[in-house]
Amino acid sequence: MHNFLQVQGLRKTFPGLNGAEDLVVFDDVNFTIDRGEFVCIIGHSGCGKTTILNVLAGLEVPTDGHSFIDGREISGPSLDRGVVFQAHALMPWMTVRGNIAFAVRSKWPDWSREKVDAHVQQYIDMVHLTGSEDKKPSQLSGGMKQRVGIARAFAIQPKMLLLDEPFGALDALTRGNIQDELVTIVRGTQQTVFMITHDVDEAILLSDKIFLMSNGPRAVLAEIVTNPLPKDRTRATMHHDPKFYEVRNHLIDFLVHRSKTYAAAA
Amino acid sequence: MSIFSNPFDSKLRLRCSCGQHVSAAEHEASQISSSELSDRSSEALNARVVEQAVMRAVFPQDDMRRRFLQAVGAPAALAAVSAIFPMAFAKEAFAQGGKLEKTNLKVGFIPITCATPIIMADPMGFYKKQGLNVEVVKTAGWAVVRDKALNKEYDAAHMLSPMPLAISMGAGASPTPYTVPAIENINGQAITLAVKHKGKRNPKDWKGFKFAVPFDYSMHNYLLRYYLAENGIDPDRDVQIRVVPPPEMVANLRADNIDGFLAPDPVNQRAVYDGVGFIHILSKELWDGHPCCAFAASKEFMTANPNTYSALLRAIVEATAYAQKAENRKEIAAAIHTPNYLNQPLTVVEQVLTGTYADGLGNVKKVPDRIGFDPMPWESFAVWIMTQMQRWGQVKGDVDYQKIAQEVFLTTDARRAMEQAGLAVPAAGSKKIVVMGKVFDANKPKEYLNSFAIKRV
Amino acid sequence: MVNERGRAVILSVLIFAIFVMFWQIATMPTQGAQIVDEEYAKLVGAAAATGQKSTFPGPLDVGAKLVEHLSDPFYDRGANDKGIGIQLAWSVSRVALGFGLAALVAIPLGFLIGMSRLFFQALDPFIQVLKPISPLAWMPLALFTLKDSNVSAVFVIFICSIWPMLINTAFGVASVRKEWIDVTRTLEVSPLRKAWFVILPAAAPTIMTGMRISIGIAWLVIVAAEMLVGGTGIGYFVWNEWNNLSIANILVAVLMIGLIGMLLDMCFARLQKAVTYRD
Repeated sequence: MHNFLQVQGLRKTFPGLNGAEDLVVFDDVNFTIDRGEFVCIIGHSGCGKTTILNVLAGLEVPTDGHSFIDGREISGPSLDRGVVFQAHALMPWMTVRGNIAFAVRSKWPDWSREKVDAHVQQYIDMVHLTGSEDKKPSQLSGGMKQRVGIARAFAIQPKMLLLDEPFGALDALTRGNIQDELVTIVRGTQQTVFMITHDVDEAILLSDKIFLMSNGPRAVLAEIVTNPLPKDRTRATMHHDPKFYEVRNHLIDFLVHRSKTYAAAA
Repeated sequence: MSIFSNPFDSKLRLRCSCGQHVSAAEHEASQISSSELSDRSSEALNARVVEQAVMRAVFPQDDMRRRFLQAVGAPAALAAVSAIFPMAFAKEAFAQGGKLEKTNLKVGFIPITCATPIIMADPMGFYKKQGLNVEVVKTAGWAVVRDKALNKEYDAAHMLSPMPLAISMGAGASPTPYTVPAIENINGQAITLAVKHKGKRNPKDWKGFKFAVPFDYSMHNYLLRYYLAENGIDPDRDVQIRVVPPPEMVANLRADNIDGFLAPDPVNQRAVYDGVGFIHILSKELWDGHPCCAFAASKEFMTANPNTYSALLRAIVEATAYAQKAENRKEIAAAIHTPNYLNQPLTVVEQVLTGTYADGLGNVKKVPDRIGFDPMPWESFAVWIMTQMQRWGQVKGDVDYQKIAQEVFLTTDARRAMEQAGLAVPAAGSKKIVVMGKVFDANKPKEYLNSFAIKRV
Repeated sequence: MVNERGRAVILSVLIFAIFVMFWQIATMPTQGAQIVDEEYAKLVGAAAATGQKSTFPGPLDVGAKLVEHLSDPFYDRGANDKGIGIQLAWSVSRVALGFGLAALVAIPLGFLIGMSRLFFQALDPFIQVLKPISPLAWMPLALFTLKDSNVSAVFVIFICSIWPMLINTAFGVASVRKEWIDVTRTLEVSPLRKAWFVILPAAAPTIMTGMRISIGIAWLVIVAAEMLVGGTGIGYFVWNEWNNLSIANILVAVLMIGLIGMLLDMCFARLQKAVTYRD
């Protein structure tokens, strides 16, 4: 059986300036993701995480390698893959409702007004933004804007969700709230998710597998860590699980030590 | 003699000998007397116009015409000429006109008193009388008049006399055949100087002065240059002559940008009215009877709309006749000074038209023929203008004076008819003009040109 | 208790009052004795009778003329003499036509240039050469080729007011945030939908700024063009009054030109506000 998402031999280089050697961001990245899996990718800046996400989204073309989703090669952006951008990327002249409706209409252009409105309302409610439908993004807080971004990505019911550090700009309190919401939604929809994050605790809470990237340049996918914690973990209680600190220490050790030396050791 | 004189009178000189008279009395005698006009109905006047035009075409040499008449007598002469040219038909056509091809016309004018017949024909009903609905359109400048006439926005226009010549010759624009069926006015200009120059009346003291004229191809330019040259001043080297639109002349004079100008009225009188300048000399004192502005129409308009053209010409001719009478001048001033036409204070226009005026130096002068209205487009006017155009380098190379003068300043079917009948068409008549005491022979333009000390040829 | 807005208004009124006062003092007629005889004096203006030049009108003269014109703005006493209301209407309609045509061309063309580097590089030299040409230079060319003076005036407005709109549209379109474009890519939005729903609203504030500049230029140009060509319009009105050396009337016209220009700008400022979004 072929996996839902397959990535083979992915490599990204940039041409060298003034005859210098080409800059290799990452090389020989291979992984698979099963349907319904939640995967987080962690690594220091410069290892190419965003580039990998953009390749999966179809927004960028790799220098080498192939990626396949549901058996078809990824050759460009598609409604199959919803993206939540790092800086929400909402259209400031559209209301909350308008932003989400724009996405919905892009996917289902034949739907009637009422159907679109009902669908949009559903997702607004899902991210707990009921009451803010007619506000413009400039009238929302950072956390609310990010929620709209999430709602917009979910509303098109994509095969796969790609999130680029979606909570990086939020404060700890807000982040915690949205994380909980995301957990609920994802568990409810059985969404396949690929997410970039810096936050180790967030990765442990949300993901089934954690990809660890070594440092760039010449970064590689060093380790794939399976999350040992049970599926019904919650933010409030997971740190009581004995396996929590085991996996947490492992991840932090990697980030502090092994990510640097991995390339040398390999 | 005027256009309304009897061409079948062998004792009458048709060609104007104005300027050759040495006394005012003789000059007065040769002017149309008001009785002549008042005795005639407009139909009779129109008939005279046609007869004169035909006779002038048949006999360009006035002496020949008179000798012919003396030889065969007036009735035989009429019969003979009518055999070649259907006089009655022409008179009738001229008097009544056929069905008008076009009744809504646009005639452009510049708001100066030279255009009086064109302007007054509107409020005083001369156009309406001919069944024409004419809109007289005030225009911003001579170049715009030319452009709008050439692009047919205007059916006919008020132009400076040299302009139709220039347009037909292609000087300053692509050549388009233009005609002058009538001159608008004679005299009516003046040299005005800034008040500060009231002690410098001798032109020899004017070296370094800056003058303004309304347009390069204008009687104003030629008369000013002639006046300066006669006083030993080279108009291109000793003074500056600029083209300035008439409304800006008074303002420039006030601002000391120019020292004087030769301009059409009412600009001169306006300068006096505003306390900015004084009238140094009237143009009539340089060349009494000189043409100034013309009523011009394209040849195309004439041939495409002959009846309309005749009706329009009739209206202008009648208005001109009315304007020449001294007793009508005040009425005309009241009609044309309004914002819709000249847009000047009433007294300024009155002073120009009646000839009783303030001269800017505290004196009230009375010159009743300060401006005159005689529509005859003498060919020799055209020749004089062309000699001056050559003199100052506006037209270069060899100019066929007679040909152009005939084509532009006088066009009659009779001339063509004569050629077709195989009759010899004599050279243009030897009419004499006197400018500042010097005689001009239209038959000897090249000699005239060479006789000047100051010239650019 | 006067708030900030109120204080600004009071200061404006004060400045105006001081200006008018200086104007009145500067144009006060100096008393001179009549130095010419009665008959002469009747034939010349008041100033000339006392040996002086006629003067610049004072604020009261201008105020009187203003009232005169505004009390009967739509009179029609012939082809060359119409009320100031009619003249302004002519000018505004010419501006509307010329500006409208310019917008119809500038905005689509600006889109093209903004979205395609090839077209930008190909068209840029033409734009740079044509942009600085003054309307007074275009006018004779237009009259010569287009012949009709009304059409020429509209064309001159068109060719002079098109550039700010074109350049600003191109700039606005090219500067649309990459992330919004990426959103449309991931949502597989068609080019037409993308242009209408994303690029246009995103570039709208910049486009609107261009339009606001253009309408100012168009209003400037029409007055100059009408002075050159004559016929109808506020520019012709100024020229006609210039013929009569009626400075007071010219000042009235100048005031009206300024007021209409201000109103036009205010309209576009409102429109600009409507399309501006806070980011």
